[in-house]
This record gives sequence, structure tokens and C-alpha cells, in this order.
Amino acid sequence: MERAFAAEIESLKLGDGAVFRGEGILAVTKALLQSGVSYVGGYQGAPVSHLLDVMVQARDYMDELGVHVEACTNEASAAAMLGASIAYPVRGAVTWKSIVGTNVAADALSYLSTAGVMGGALIIAGEDYGEGASVALERTHAYALKSQLWMLDPRPDLPTIVRMVEKGFELSEASSTPVIVDLRIRACHVQGEFAARANRAAALSTRHRGAPAGFDYERLSHPPATFRQEKHKIEVRLPAARRFIAEQKLNESFPGDLEGVGIIVQGGLYNTLQRALHLLGLANAFGESRVPILALNVVYPLVPEEITSYCAGKRAVLLLEEGQPEFIEQDIATTLRRSDVQARLHGKDLMAMAGEYSAELMVQGLRRFLGEHEPRLDLGGGARWLESVDGVRKRAAALLGAPLPARPPNFCIGCPERPVFAALKIAEKKTGRPHISGDIGCHAFATFEPFSMGNSILGYGMSLASAAAVGPMMAKRPLAVMGDGGFWHNGLLSGVASSLLNKGDAVLLVMKNGYASATGTQELISSPPKDARDASGRSAVHADRTIENALAGLGVKWVKTVHTYHVAEMQKTLSEALTTEEGGLKVIVAEGECQLERQRRAKPEVARRLAAGERVLRVKYGVDEDTCTGDHSCIRLSGCPTLTVKDNPDPLRRDPVATVIEGCVGCGLCGENAHAATLCPSFYRAEVVQNPSMLDRAVARLRALVVPA
Amino acid sequence: MNLPDRSLTVLIAALGGEGGGVMADWLMQAATARGYPAQATSIPGVAQRTGATTYYLEIYPVRRESLGRREPVMSLTPSPGNVDVMVASELLEAGRALQNGYVTPDRTTLIASTHRIYATAEKMQMADGRFPEERVLDAARQLAKHAVLFDMRQLAQQHGTVINAVLFGAMAGAGVLPLPREACEAAIRRSGRGAEASLRGFAAGFEIAAGERAAPAPAARALPPATREIIDLGAARLRDYQGEAYAQLFLARVASMGDVGAELVGETARALALWMSYEDIIRVADLKTRPARFARVRREAGAGDDEPLHVIDHLKPGVEELASLLPPFLGRRLQSWAERNGKLDAYNVGMRVKTSGVFGYLLVRSLAWLKPWRPSSYRYAEEQALIERWLAAVRAAAARHPPLALEIAACAGLLKGYGETHRRGKANFLAILDALVENPATADPAAQAEAIRKARAAALADPEQRALERTLGRPVTWLRTEKTR
Repeated sequence: MERAFAAEIESLKLGDGAVFRGEGILAVTKALLQSGVSYVGGYQGAPVSHLLDVMVQARDYMDELGVHVEACTNEASAAAMLGASIAYPVRGAVTWKSIVGTNVAADALSYLSTAGVMGGALIIAGEDYGEGASVALERTHAYALKSQLWMLDPRPDLPTIVRMVEKGFELSEASSTPVIVDLRIRACHVQGEFAARANRAAALSTRHRGAPAGFDYERLSHPPATFRQEKHKIEVRLPAARRFIAEQKLNESFPGDLEGVGIIVQGGLYNTLQRALHLLGLANAFGESRVPILALNVVYPLVPEEITSYCAGKRAVLLLEEGQPEFIEQDIATTLRRSDVQARLHGKDLMAMAGEYSAELMVQGLRRFLGEHEPRLDLGGGARWLESVDGVRKRAAALLGAPLPARPPNFCIGCPERPVFAALKIAEKKTGRPHISGDIGCHAFATFEPFSMGNSILGYGMSLASAAAVGPMMAKRPLAVMGDGGFWHNGLLSGVASSLLNKGDAVLLVMKNGYASATGTQELISSPPKDARDASGRSAVHADRTIENALAGLGVKWVKTVHTYHVAEMQKTLSEALTTEEGGLKVIVAEGECQLERQRRAKPEVARRLAAGERVLRVKYGVDEDTCTGDHSCIRLSGCPTLTVKDNPDPLRRDPVATVIEGCVGCGLCGENAHAATLCPSFYRAEVVQNPSMLDRAVARLRALVVPA
Repeated sequence: MNLPDRSLTVLIAALGGEGGGVMADWLMQAATARGYPAQATSIPGVAQRTGATTYYLEIYPVRRESLGRREPVMSLTPSPGNVDVMVASELLEAGRALQNGYVTPDRTTLIASTHRIYATAEKMQMADGRFPEERVLDAARQLAKHAVLFDMRQLAQQHGTVINAVLFGAMAGAGVLPLPREACEAAIRRSGRGAEASLRGFAAGFEIAAGERAAPAPAARALPPATREIIDLGAARLRDYQGEAYAQLFLARVASMGDVGAELVGETARALALWMSYEDIIRVADLKTRPARFARVRREAGAGDDEPLHVIDHLKPGVEELASLLPPFLGRRLQSWAERNGKLDAYNVGMRVKTSGVFGYLLVRSLAWLKPWRPSSYRYAEEQALIERWLAAVRAAAARHPPLALEIAACAGLLKGYGETHRRGKANFLAILDALVENPATADPAAQAEAIRKARAAALADPEQRALERTLGRPVTWLRTEKTR
């Protein structure tokens, strides 16, 4: 795993009264333990990876508490884990990145919510929406509505988040319904503090095992029980949930002197709203607002009485609801009409329908809202602020003269996947560019410059499946790229098995780097065996053949495993796979261990050997500045952060020359590319002998008689 | 007690792997240790993988115990026009902060390192795609309330630490944090590993920002050489390349331009000197085996004087390289055979030559010893003929319309690279020479010059030549390595 959580594990053990300091998602983890969970599962992905990562690393402590931790192979298996709470009074939580994870989990979630739960069941969803999002922009809210899963959207401060997790379990049990705790990216990563409570060991756990439940048809999501369960959800569980939410005051009402108006806001947006009100001069630094605010820590279900009593007597209410469609607004509108409360309801008419709600957008919306309903209010400060921001941006644009080049994420220095795309770019010159169906994972960085490859991305492990209907219509065979993470998440069944069943003719390129790397190098079923991961930092992934064996077991005939750094061989293999007369699925397993893991092993070893005075060979690549002509074709085949340009030292030349800067790990791609693409003779490999032996020194002295080095 | 109206806001723009997260932790640590309510958030995600990433902090500069039960509400996202301290670990990222409105004259102290880490889009261009630094610096000075700008990477390297330590020091030294120096240093010390180096970097950043010591002077950009200097540099280069006679040939060619103005003579001489010292296998072998080259590699690889160094060169000579060395009648035959049969890159031999070893050195050096043979080689004959053709066009244009001659002279810049890159560049050059220089569609020299300028820009716009083909309105034919089916 990329990150070690030693200090964080200690903070998970804090007892009553101690102050927990740390990240939001780790506060959630602590809250789960405080709530006495029996099991935790999930699938990693920003922004919730740390929850599972820390629990996996804290296995010993989890054992002590009797908590079963499972790193699931996908979100469907994580959601299905919650099935334990259907027939047993155990609390459990699972986590994943949403919307994508919820999509994958949807089938199990439908059945889970239909059957209902006995023990509290929580889904910690990392809502990857807005700035920094890496997935399709959709709302998890839709799933809550269609499956009747309750959804919490806590105010983003640690005490509130922790309270909502704890209350979430109670709500789940009070209404026999699984609960989603929805946390936005920044809320997961927010650093703050809260007063901890002691962890609780569950009554039923891995330490205290119980007897299997008896047969009860009403707990099966199977007809005819399903018909009764649907009614039960609406007639019993929903009212129970509303009762609990109202009684426990999960939603928070903040008073203000402008009682004729009000703002209803999703809890997660509360702090941004406060900033907007502050900018308008309507709130102070402590969140004391002149406009009354109703913060919905529970966004589904709403409690109709809460809404009507809040709105009654007001001229107008503004709802701040991020994303689309405007589910909450529709809900509130229905409630107000049915109860004939006459307050005007504003929402998406004044605010943007799509996209993240920034303070700037909120100031604009609030100005319109208050301008209409509190016309005597002086909102000049907000107006001036908006104007000045606009003015500064315009001035900056004028001074900069042109938009700045973007800086998207990129393959790491020494990433074993970069050479594959270099090989593909070289191979394309002869074979022409095929249809490339992309996938989720680090390899998706090949969609950025300098490779700019890919025709579609349809989800994690979906690349081969998404090429199924392309191949039969194209003159060239399509190429599907997939990581080993995607392969095990979904690709093996959705892609490989389906292609075999349908006798598809495509090429699948599997990146066998050994881990789910993009999310923090979590382990896979095909991760290299521990004893193969030696301190030399050499790639260890060849020591595991689970992917190749699985392919062979399914009946794939054409499978070739190629080390990614053999660029010329990779290029040949790609060309062959794309052009061979042989039909059927062809799989290239591109083998090369994730360099983050390799470096993690090698760095301390190198440091130890250097300190101990042992001989170490340090490798760095370089470019001879006097033979480089500055055409940068090497960069167009690499994009490595350490292969860059510098001013041309030759006073007669103008274009910058290529150069290799510090940070180069000597992966060798520069040399491989220079050969495979017949680039230029400027690249050299420098091997520095650190702590040289007597022999090294003697040879060097003799050599110096001939070579002026 | 009179409480401040708002929290102090700090936005940090960094690139993955620069320790932006650690710096945010230090700040949090220092603020919390002072008893100030503070909050930090970030958008790491995949941006950690070398992309641009941001960290955002708010600090309410009053001890919590004097607030009673009141707790400041802090935003998780920065808003434009609302940032007190903008920190950028690299110049382009500072530019991005400016572009997004995070730096405003009424309140923002901008602390940015002036070094550049080029984005892929900048460095992959065929010519110079770098964003002009001066514009970012100028905008920074104009838009910030106070700007602390110096090369912090260099300083970090000097102190054996990471840039975040220097940035943190600069932040503290600029006097914008409600945290005394000791509190910041204590936070660094608490982080343990590497603390001593970090503290040195911190001190350097602090003292420069506080004006207690001078910032490292930016490396002076060499001025472009003047015409006289270009001619001298060119003659010296060619003397080194092939000897005195060759240098004299260069001088004679420059003299043949006549009195057409310094700029045109200078530009033509510059292009001519580069072209005449074309990179053939002899030249490459010569440059690769010089003492100065080995010294440079040693420097770039960071090898100590007592550390033995092995230098391995990646060479892949093929048919073209062989043909270029043969006498013209043989070389021409081999070359045209290879072109006809798509064999130009068919027989390249990939070699990893240990140039620092005795055998490898002698192998490469022996190629350099072929220098006296060069004037009798096929490539020499080819290059000289094309040089004369180009030079004649420049001279003819100079008489009509000097700006046109400048454009033609600049076309020689398209000839660069090796192997396929060189072939493509040459094809572009020949296409422009043929279509726009020697057979122009217009009699107006200004229009002709403009057409050439556009075509040249198009040739450099994309490596697939599509832009040039669109500009010329016809395909650019060049020798592909294999026959297309």
C-alpha cells in the first residue's frame, strides 16, 4: 500500500475525552468503531480509500475488537456484505467512491433495502462531485430515492460528521433501513478535531460468534415477500425514520433576524453558504447569520412537518441543492403545495442547475433571492466583491496574454505503463491507429498529452465489453486497455468471458502492475507474493500468474506476456495482435510492477547500503545537449516528468534542448525509446558507482589512461 | 475583546510529490499548537500523480479559550478575491492562481517559486512551446498586494531539502501568518525525519522573505548574439567541425550575401553555420568522445570526483548513416535503393556502447577519426548542393524584399533531428522551398513572405504534417520507413 497509517492507527484507539485530530474520513473510521461495528468492507477509491486502507493496516487492533475487515474486489461484493445485517443484529459499514461504486453496487442495494436490516447498516459514500472529481458527474441521491435508502449529508465539521455516523446506525436500526452517509471530497479530506469516545466491541463479532439464523421468508427479497416489503418500506420504515430524525433533531435550524425569508441547505454545503453570507455582510465568522438557515443533515427522507413549520410564515425560501436533477426541491415543493404553505420556493431558478456550488455562485444566487424578497437590505458589498473578482480575472487574463497550459495528472516517474503507450505510438505508425477503448486506472493518463489515446471510457473494467460492437464494424481490430485492478473488478467477466462466449475478435491489453495503483496501490488477488518482493526493487509481478492462468482457464488461446520496458518487443507484439490472421480474443499481458511499490522497497535499502558503505550503482539518464537538435520527438514518446527541456546552451540555436532533470530513477525508457523509434543518438545512461570497491577504483585508473572520462 | 471579522485564508498550489500536504500539516500543527482554530482541506485524488493539486487552510488567529463556546465556521473551498496568502510551488501554478482570481491587490500576499517545471503541452512542441515566464512574473507583481518571488527550488537543493520547507519559511518570513517563527519551526521539528534539512530550508526562505538576506539572483539569460558575433561563432564552429578551409567556405558564403543589412546577414549566417555543421555520425562520435562531454555527464549525473562513472550511449545506425559516409555515387545508389524498397530503417543496429570503456571509447572515437573523409562523402555533397540552392534563394529575395529573405533563411530551422525526424523536417523544408520560394503563387513579395511564415509555423505545429498540408493545399511527400500497403 502506498501510504502507511501508523500514527492514524494510534488515534483510532483514543478513549473517552481524548481529542482526535485528523482527516474527515479517518474521523468516520473512528466513529464506526465508537458505534460498535462488527464488520467493515468496501472498495477503495478517492476520497474514501483511507477508511479501508487504515482498517486493513490496523488488522491486529480490529481483531482485538472482533471487527471483520474485508477489502472487497468490487462494490457489489461490498454492498452484498451488508447482507449480514439482514438476519443478525450486527452493525456494519461499507465504503466506496460514488457515483461509480453505487452504480456497481446497485443490484445488491435494491435487494438489501427491500429486505430491510436488523442491525445498523451504513454505506459511507465518497461523493466525487465537482472540483477534482474523476468520475461521471451524477448524484448518489437518485439511488437513495429509488431504493428508499436514507441519506445523510452532514455539515462538514468533524463533530457533526462523527455524530451523524453514530446517529446513522441508530436511524438504520430504528427504521430497519440501510443508511448512506454521503461525504464530499473536501469533507473526507478536511483536517479538524473532535472529542473522542471509547470504542465499543460488538456483542456478535469475530470474537463472539453466534448461531445461524432460523428460516424466515420475510427476510428474503423474494416474491411474494417482496410485495409486502415494498409496502413495509413506505408504511412502516419511512414513518419510523422520519420520527427518529425529528426526535433526534438530526437537521439543524439556525435562527436569524430576517425571519421573513429562509435558506434550506444540504448539510454538506453549509460552510460554503456561511462564506457566501459573510461576503454579503450577512454573517459573522462564527456562522451567526441574519438569514435563518435550515441545514439538512438528512437529505432523504425529509420530514414534511419540519419543512412546513420552517417555511410557514416566511415570504420566501431559497433551497441550495447541488447537482441535478433537483430532487430535494421537487420534494419540498410537493410538501408545501400539499400543505398549502404559501412561502415562495426558490432553488434552481436562481442557482445553476449543474456543477459544484462555490461561494461565488451562492453570492450571485443570494443576491437575486434577497434582492427580490428583502429589497431594503444593502447587498452592495457582495456586488462589489463579485465585480472586483471579475475585474481581477480579466486583468490577469490580459497580463498573461494567453490561457496557461493545463497540467493534468501523468504517469509517475518510472511508471511501467508509460513504455506500453510509447510502444503503441510507435506501432501505430505502421498499423495505423486502432479504435482504442479505454478504462479506469492509471493507464487512463494516456488520454492526455503526449499520447492522446482513447475513443471511449465506459467504467471500471468495461473497456473490452465496450469494444464488443465496435470490432465487427471496423476495418481494423479494436484495442481494449485495462488495468489488473479493472480486470478483477469487472473486466474478467464483463469483458473476457463475454468476448469468448460471442467469439469476439479484439485485442485486450492488460496492465499487470500488481496493484490497484491509481487508488493507492491496494493489493489484488494477483499481487506478487510477498517473498518475491525483494529489496532490490526489481519488478516482482512475474512471480504471480493468476491473470494468465485465469485467461487460460477461460479458454483464451492467444495470450502473450511482455515486459513493458521491452519497448521494441511490446511494439512487435502489439502489431502482431492487431494484424494477425488469427481470430478470437488476443490478450497481451503487459508486465511491470508499479514503481511506487518498487521504490518503496528499494529506497530504504539503497539508503541502508549507502550508509553501510556498500557498493551501490546509481543510474540516471541524460541527453547530450550538443547533439540534441531540439525537435523533442523523444518527449512526444514519453511525457516523463523528468524528461523536459531547458534553454539551449548553444548560442547559435534557439529551440530548447531536451534534458533529464533530477528525480530520474533510471527506468531505461529513454534508451528503449531511442532504439525502438530510432530517435537520435543523444541519450546516454550514466551509472555512478557509489562507495566504489578497490577493484572499481583500479579499473577506473587504468581506463583513464585511454579514455578522457 | 475585539475579535477579527474573519479567518486568515491560505491557498497552496503544488505539484504532486512536492510535499504540499506536509506543508499544510506543518501549518495546521503550528496553528493548533498556538490554540488557534484551524482547518485544512485538499483535493489530492489522482492529482497526486504529478498533476497540479491544491491545499486550502483557514486559521482563526485567536486562541480557542478566549472564544468561549463560539466556534468559527470555516470554508472548505477557497474563493477568488478572498485569499490572504497564495503559495505556489512553481511559476506556472502561480500563473494559474492569478488566472483564477485568487491573487488580488487588496489582500493577497503571493509567495511563489520562480522556477519552471514545464507542462507536457509546453515541452512536446517541435520548436519552443514554453509559456513566457516574464508575463507571469509581471502579472504577479501587478496583481499581488505583496509578492515574494524567487527560485526556491534552487535554495531547497542547496540545503538538501524539499521545496515545501523553503516555501513555509517564506510564508513565515513574509509576516503574513499569525504564527511566530518558533511556532513554525517547532511544527517542522515535530514531523521528525529530515527535520534538520527542512529547518535549514525554512531559515533560508524566512530570511529572504523577511528581507534579511538577498534572494539568489536569477540566472542571467544570455543575450542573443549580434551579427559579428554570430559570424565569429559560426566560423569557429566550422573550424572545429571540418577545419580551416571549411570555415573559409562559410565566411565566403556569408560574404556572398553582400550588404543586405545586419539582421538578414546574421540570421542567414546563424542558419548557415548550423546547417553546415550537420549532425552526421562523424560529428556525433566526435562530440561523444570529448573530455568536456564526460565532465558534463559527470556533473549532470551528480557523480563525485572519486566515484567511477560508466557512460552508455544508445546508438542505432542504419542504412542512411552508412550511405552518408560512402562516396557520392555509391551512397546515392544505396540511399535510393533503400528509399524505393522501404528499407531506410530496416537494418538499424541498436547498440548500447559503453563509451566510457576502453573498447567502446575506441570504437566511437575511430568514427570521429573519419573527419578528413567527410568532404568526399555522399551526404556532404547532398548538403552542400541544398545549401547553395537555399542560399541562392535567400540572396535573390534579399535584392527584392529583405523581409522575404529573412523568412526563407528561417526555413533552414526546419532541418533538425535524426532519422525519421530529420527526413520529415527535410521534406517540409523542400515542400516549402518548392511551393512557396521557387514557385510562388504570388508576385507580391510581402504576401509571399507571409505565406512562407505561415507554412513554417504549420510545419512546426504538428508532427504529422497535417497542418502544413492544409496550408500548402497539397500533400507533403516524404520517405516513409516502410511501404504502405
